[in-house]
Amino acid sequence: MATYSPGRRRVIFALTLTSLFLLTLDIRGNQVLDGARSGFGFIFRPINRAGEVVTTPVVRLWRSYREFDDLEEENRQLRAEIDAQRSAEISAQNAIIENQDLLALAGLESLASYGSVTGRLVGQSPSNFDQQVEIDRGALHGIRVGMAAINEAGLVGKVTSVAPQSSIIMLVTDPSYAVPVKILASNDAADASATMTATSVASSDVEAAATDDVSAISGTESDGSESTTTTTTTVVEIIRETGVLRGQGSDRLPRVSFIASGTGFGQIEVGDTVFTAGGSTSLAPPNIPLGRVLNVITRAGTAGQELEIEPTADLSRLQFVRVVLYQPASEVGQ
Amino acid sequence: MNDTPTRVWLTRTILVGLIVLSLQMTIATEIRPFGVVIQVVLAFTVAAGAASGPGEGAKAGFVLGLMYDLATGLPLGSTAISMAFGGYVAGWGRQYRLEPTWWMLAALAAIGAAVGEVLVPVVRILTGETGVFEPRIALILPVVALSSGLLSPFFIPIARWALVIRPTEIRVADADT
Repeated sequence: MATYSPGRRRVIFALTLTSLFLLTLDIRGNQVLDGARSGFGFIFRPINRAGEVVTTPVVRLWRSYREFDDLEEENRQLRAEIDAQRSAEISAQNAIIENQDLLALAGLESLASYGSVTGRLVGQSPSNFDQQVEIDRGALHGIRVGMAAINEAGLVGKVTSVAPQSSIIMLVTDPSYAVPVKILASNDAADASATMTATSVASSDVEAAATDDVSAISGTESDGSESTTTTTTTVVEIIRETGVLRGQGSDRLPRVSFIASGTGFGQIEVGDTVFTAGGSTSLAPPNIPLGRVLNVITRAGTAGQELEIEPTADLSRLQFVRVVLYQPASEVGQ
Repeated sequence: MNDTPTRVWLTRTILVGLIVLSLQMTIATEIRPFGVVIQVVLAFTVAAGAASGPGEGAKAGFVLGLMYDLATGLPLGSTAISMAFGGYVAGWGRQYRLEPTWWMLAALAAIGAAVGEVLVPVVRILTGETGVFEPRIALILPVVALSSGLLSPFFIPIARWALVIRPTEIRVADADT
């Protein structure tokens, strides 16, 4: 029977040391290793493509077995949702155009100000510990590491690795993902806020204020003998808090922590919306929708609140991803 | 393998590794039992260890782990460590039995795979990542271990070819050591 050999121990010891050496070099940044990675990607791509072709029938068979019932039910629900959203879409499109015009007039940036590249998902992370996807657009299309990736619903993640023809995108659920965000009042809360402001200005004109989407509120009072007209401009501040959103893994919702305390802004409530905060150092431009507050966790002491966020983008069913060609002011020119 | 020129087993391991890696990146990411990605490359590594012994398992794991890191963009060496240990552990149990049955080899492969997979978050923590030790690991480990054990009967003959190990050579080599 074989016995334990010191030679084997030397082998595993040497391999561990080599791995740690490579790991240290790679984490600190090494052009040789980056070149090796690009070269391997170049060689591996056609083999991987062949693997896709060969395994596609098996994957389709598995999907049809696993997902048919769910898809049928989902299809029914989506049809109902589409009917309900048709009318809302028209008014929303009008509001978007108005919003962009106003932003342009005020000289403010909006998401429409930046170019973008749309890529198709060609791969997912093969690991159980990473939330990453691969798209078929890369450096040749203008994509750089750090750029934000979005879809129609909102923020999806950020680019962490770029090859000439492909990019790796870390999803917002990845534990390594972090982005500064701002929490805004939900629509209902904003309406309520507007109504309260109007009441304090002109009590006879509550109904008009409640239906007025614009922050400038004009009220007219008349008691029969004399008429007084009061015009007051009130800015309804709906930006409440800023914080940092971090991914928590595939089976847990992202959380917002480091929330700036500001009791004057009121309480954060379930349903409040979360957008990227932007800023000169943030890799994501401002005002990309991210999700809604699903749970407010109050922690003892100075730890402050934490918020669980439900992302608006369905990360489990991504097909196409749009990379926003945005670089923060601090990185432009580097 | 000991008498075989390094370039022979290395070339064969890389060739097989490319195919296994391709399976990992395509079919394994799509077919996820209980939401867990089956680790095909790790399954091949532990099969190589169970078939040939700890030293060979560790070497195969190191090579395949480096390929995995290069293909996925992970820090180079992070998966190589975990797979080298996985292959080593699978091969370590192998030395206590001259002619193990297929299910013994499968059990060794499963144990090696569990060790290799649990080392992935451990290495990530060493590199400074946080939050990688999810509660879901309690589900990931048994699924990865079981799938590696089930795949081992298919991978062991391929691993023997890649590492240039013949059954007779195993017996002689084991008896010598």
